[in-house]
Amino acid sequence: MSKYIYLTCNPEALVASMLPPESFGLYLSTGTKKRNKSQTIFFEIDLSRIEKLIDMDSLDKRCVVKSDGSPKSSVYLSVYRVLEMIPNEALKSLYLTTDHGIVLELKKVSYDKGKEQQNALHLYQELCPVNPLVASSLAPSVFLKKLTDGSSPIVLPRLFFVELKLGDLATNPLAGSAEHLPYPNIGHLRDCLEIIRGEYEKHMKTVHRIFTGELLYRTIDSGFYVGSNDDLVFYPYPRMNELERVNYNFFRAI
Amino acid sequence: MITSLFWIVPISALMALLFAWIFYKGMIVQEQGTDRMKEIAAYVSEGAMAYLKRQYTVVGKVFIILVILLSILAYMGIQNPFVPIAFLTGGVFSGLCGFLGMKTATAASNRTAWAASKSLNKGLQVALRSGAVMGLVVVGFGLLDIAIWFILLNKAIFTPEHMANGLHFLGLTFVSAGTDEHQKFIEITATMLTFGMGASTQALFARVGGGIFTKAADVGADLVGKVEAGIPEDDPRNPATIADNVGDNVGDVAGMGADLYESYAGSILATAALGAALPVFAEGDQIKAIIAPMMVSAIGILLSIVGVYMVRTKEDATPKALLRALLLGTGGSSALILVVLAGMAALDWITWGVFGAAVSGLVAGVIIGQATEYYTSDGNPPTQGIAKQSQQGPATVIIEGMAVGMYSTWIPVITIVAGIIAAYGFAGGFHNFAMGVYGIGFASVGMLSTLGVTLATDAFGPIADNAGGNAEMSNLPAEVRERTDALDGLGNTTAATGKGFAIGSAALTALALMAAYIEEIKMWLTRLADKAPEGYKQIGDTLFYHNTVPAVHDGQVAVNLSSATIKDFVAAYDLSVFNPILLGGIFIGAMMAFLFCAMSMKAVGRAAGKMVDEVRRQFREIPGIMEGTGKPEYAKCVEISTKGAQSEMLVPSLMAIAVPTLVGLIFGVPGVIGLLAGGMSTGFVLASMLNNAGGAWDNAKKYVERGHYGGKKSECHKATVVGDTVGDPFKDTSGPALNILIKLMSMVAVVLAGLTVAWSLF
Repeated sequence: MSKYIYLTCNPEALVASMLPPESFGLYLSTGTKKRNKSQTIFFEIDLSRIEKLIDMDSLDKRCVVKSDGSPKSSVYLSVYRVLEMIPNEALKSLYLTTDHGIVLELKKVSYDKGKEQQNALHLYQELCPVNPLVASSLAPSVFLKKLTDGSSPIVLPRLFFVELKLGDLATNPLAGSAEHLPYPNIGHLRDCLEIIRGEYEKHMKTVHRIFTGELLYRTIDSGFYVGSNDDLVFYPYPRMNELERVNYNFFRAI
Repeated sequence: MITSLFWIVPISALMALLFAWIFYKGMIVQEQGTDRMKEIAAYVSEGAMAYLKRQYTVVGKVFIILVILLSILAYMGIQNPFVPIAFLTGGVFSGLCGFLGMKTATAASNRTAWAASKSLNKGLQVALRSGAVMGLVVVGFGLLDIAIWFILLNKAIFTPEHMANGLHFLGLTFVSAGTDEHQKFIEITATMLTFGMGASTQALFARVGGGIFTKAADVGADLVGKVEAGIPEDDPRNPATIADNVGDNVGDVAGMGADLYESYAGSILATAALGAALPVFAEGDQIKAIIAPMMVSAIGILLSIVGVYMVRTKEDATPKALLRALLLGTGGSSALILVVLAGMAALDWITWGVFGAAVSGLVAGVIIGQATEYYTSDGNPPTQGIAKQSQQGPATVIIEGMAVGMYSTWIPVITIVAGIIAAYGFAGGFHNFAMGVYGIGFASVGMLSTLGVTLATDAFGPIADNAGGNAEMSNLPAEVRERTDALDGLGNTTAATGKGFAIGSAALTALALMAAYIEEIKMWLTRLADKAPEGYKQIGDTLFYHNTVPAVHDGQVAVNLSSATIKDFVAAYDLSVFNPILLGGIFIGAMMAFLFCAMSMKAVGRAAGKMVDEVRRQFREIPGIMEGTGKPEYAKCVEISTKGAQSEMLVPSLMAIAVPTLVGLIFGVPGVIGLLAGGMSTGFVLASMLNNAGGAWDNAKKYVERGHYGGKKSECHKATVVGDTVGDPFKDTSGPALNILIKLMSMVAVVLAGLTVAWSLF
């Protein structure tokens, strides 16, 4: 049986498994006894790119078929500060699962910074290694660089985040229509956006410090970003009509 | 010529049954899909049949008791001796419709899912034609029962010999000696009208029982399966999921079928009874007026069959194209029936006024259907407004939903008022009461004339819904589920039109029955006057006589029943809102609607509680149930829902029979008229409100699930789920059952008119 290496975001861990991504997603979300339910987000990792980072002997010994012949579901190789060890080249597809374990694969594409929307506000849900909800006037690539290049007092080695929908508030935070958004406290959101729009020096404002681990998948905007400085990998999120066409089960479940 | 043309009625009824059989055969030879699909379908079918068996056992016992009571009344001379048998046939035919409809619908689900795996259009054809079985069985048996009774009474019972010498059997008088030709048809139509009570009683049990079953199963499946265990909709690991699927058939197929069977038969019979009582100006006028509603319904059947065949699309049709095709079927049949009615008017079979009345009914049905669609579809502001309120939480969702439901009543009410006035005015010119109420009856006949195809599109909904469930539980590919979802969505749209026709026809039929009630009163006064030693029956200061002119004292008036007008009865019984007895009746009628809703809603809560306990037990005690290795006990859940429905439906259903009886016995005719007026007006408005609020809450939740206000899992979604849960018994239990309540109370009043006239305290 093949071995797969996955990087899960919550908890931040490197996991080996004999399950392919769809089955691994189902396992992570619902558990062996299927009594659990939770959203999960994980990357598939190219093992050949991280061989030096992990104990391959231990992997070979622990990630083996069970006595009843069933594949090993998970072997934790590393937890805590894992993302910062994994280079972007090792990241393969990103997988999102629903509570019930339906999996959507997102493939990475080269990111075109030239297409970034200027003069608009953004809402980012940081996912790993920290996870506040942040409003920002910075485009995704600039936002990533700002938090990872060491130029500010708060610095992260690498960051994985997703851009969420802001709708009309992206350009008109005070008077824009505030419907169909991922954050229910609209008054607070308007305040946060107004602060970063009004203050020249302030480009980021924490909207919510606690992430419940549950993303509202229908409120994702451009997609997922991971990297540091100028080394950015982008996983575009499909528009709803496209998602309905390519993965109806996932579309129906979210 | 006239009586020869009558044969089109039984022939059309048989044609309906023949085509129902052809459509059934066409469905049953379709591929059933995988073994898993067959297994799931078998569970649902077994559950549905087990429910029906138990339901018919309970209803059968109630029927036996009622038949005995009606027979006793017949022996006492205050009940038509045909009533016990007519009551039974109405109930049996209605039950048969439910049985055949359920059998077809449950057999069609996996076949529809498998056909949908080929193309959307193939899925549509299987589901629609299976729905057409229900539609055609309802109209076929409805009209066949009417035709059989008419032929039997006209040809075998009211023969010239029996009319001259009387017909007596087992101590009962079936035909009074000296009955003339005019009186004969009044007696025949009045007798036939009573079979509607059997249909109404069966319909109420089907609606209430079905409504309780489906919501108990739904709540059990959702609360424990989805919320507690966290498994998705239609997951085979959920023990209540089969009961949930059975419930869709029990409520929406058997319940809706029995409801509309009753409206269909009731509207024809009430109109025929009103036609028989019309003043006769030329030979053949009376029989024409009696047969006309049957003829229109008969032709409507033929057009319904044409309508079913009109629903065709290309193999790669989009959901919008499918909807257009369905609307072409229903709309095309309705347009053609107007042409037929115009032809009948041109041939002087009906007046142009009656034609106008029928058009009023059809237009009213369409407008109410469109209004329902407007207020409940998530493409429109009312439902979107509820979704918007979810941003403030569940409380505002409830407030907004209630407001939308209440607000939504104005279009149906204004429409039905306009329809009634238009029908009355067209047919009677605002001066001829008898012709005016005949027109109102014809408006409901016009509305329901193409019921065969309308009900086909309505029954299509639960079949498509179950097909989706079957596809999900059988793990069919996503594109199949996508197609069954599209069919399900289509079914939701057509269901709105069906509901419009159901509630609209219920109001018109109830009004026609109320008018027929006065005719029944007149008939019983005639009988009692004939029997009375003094030769008259005194009501207040009015002495109603038939053959012997009584001597009158100061302040008294004598009225010949042969020529008595509605004004005579209104004066004698003081049928005015200033009569405290009538006013009291109005209040009791209004209260009945609310009391009945409260009882059916509480019944859902109790039955659902038992279901929740059972589903929790199974999740706790069956090893491997969540992994999919342990098999849930589906039958236990079906049994619990069935038992719950049967025990809970009895009290509200019997109340609907007992209250008009008691009001009649205590308060007499004014009390009954008040009861019917109060029940009809309040019931109609309340039913519209409950149906529309429930539908709007349901679709507001779906609107959020499509990604608005955060989509699934958002706080807004949780708030709309609360709204949907509150709305479930509104739209699937209490609201639809109110349609039948108002008709059943009218039917009971009509059937027990003799008892009221003879024994009332006031």
